[in-house]
Amino acid sequence: MIYLWLKALHVAAVLIWSSGLLVAALTTASASKLVADATGHAALIEGIRRFDTRVTSPAMFVVWGAGLALAVLGQWFPSPWLIVKLGIVVVLSALHGVLAATLSRLSQHDVSPPPPWMRHAPVAIMAGLGAIAILVIVKPF
Amino acid sequence: MTPQQRAEALSQLRRMRVVSLIEGSTLLLLVLVAVPLKHVAGLTVATRIMGPVHGLAFLAYGWMLIRTVAGGGWSRADILRLSIAALIPFGAFINERALARRQAVLAAR
Repeated sequence: MIYLWLKALHVAAVLIWSSGLLVAALTTASASKLVADATGHAALIEGIRRFDTRVTSPAMFVVWGAGLALAVLGQWFPSPWLIVKLGIVVVLSALHGVLAATLSRLSQHDVSPPPPWMRHAPVAIMAGLGAIAILVIVKPF
Repeated sequence: MTPQQRAEALSQLRRMRVVSLIEGSTLLLLVLVAVPLKHVAGLTVATRIMGPVHGLAFLAYGWMLIRTVAGGGWSRADILRLSIAALIPFGAFINERALARRQAVLAAR
């Protein structure tokens, strides 16, 4: 029973984290345009940064905590699909850290543009989430 | 640096210090309490509990480190020191002091 509740918590946290992550990535990817018109968008960036601090980041920690508990309770270690999935989640988490710091800089009217690779962050996040869905549902290996 | 940027940097340093202390404490509990309990007293439950707890603390530290250094203003030596300290017992406490000094310098500006 506890397994199902943990699974529900994990999935809910994943949904919140992934949506917050995509919003952060899309905001950062369009940062140059947003900063150019800072007066109109400052409140929006600050709102997204606050959401990231209060909701998206805590959701990521819930994802990790509930996910590891599920892996232990379900005796999923060391299934190859889980190891690959963990690798993707580590990369997404690291990307989230960089995005959170960038959002913070943007909210402080720092006009230095984010690194060019950040333009690809939304696509990378969607690809990562898609791969995770396949690994978890299909368990190809 | 604007007052808003300084306030944000100080707040990030505070969070980093807290996570550093948690990571260091859980590592010590794992290495100095749980592992001896497992091998000397046969209490495997100690490592079964402390292992994942420290694992989560380590992940939180790693994430907070990325979040902090991505904000800028950190040398490669600083980043290397912050990374290595998380791997060795008591390293996090040395780190925490270094972070506190950086926080004091920033606050005094």
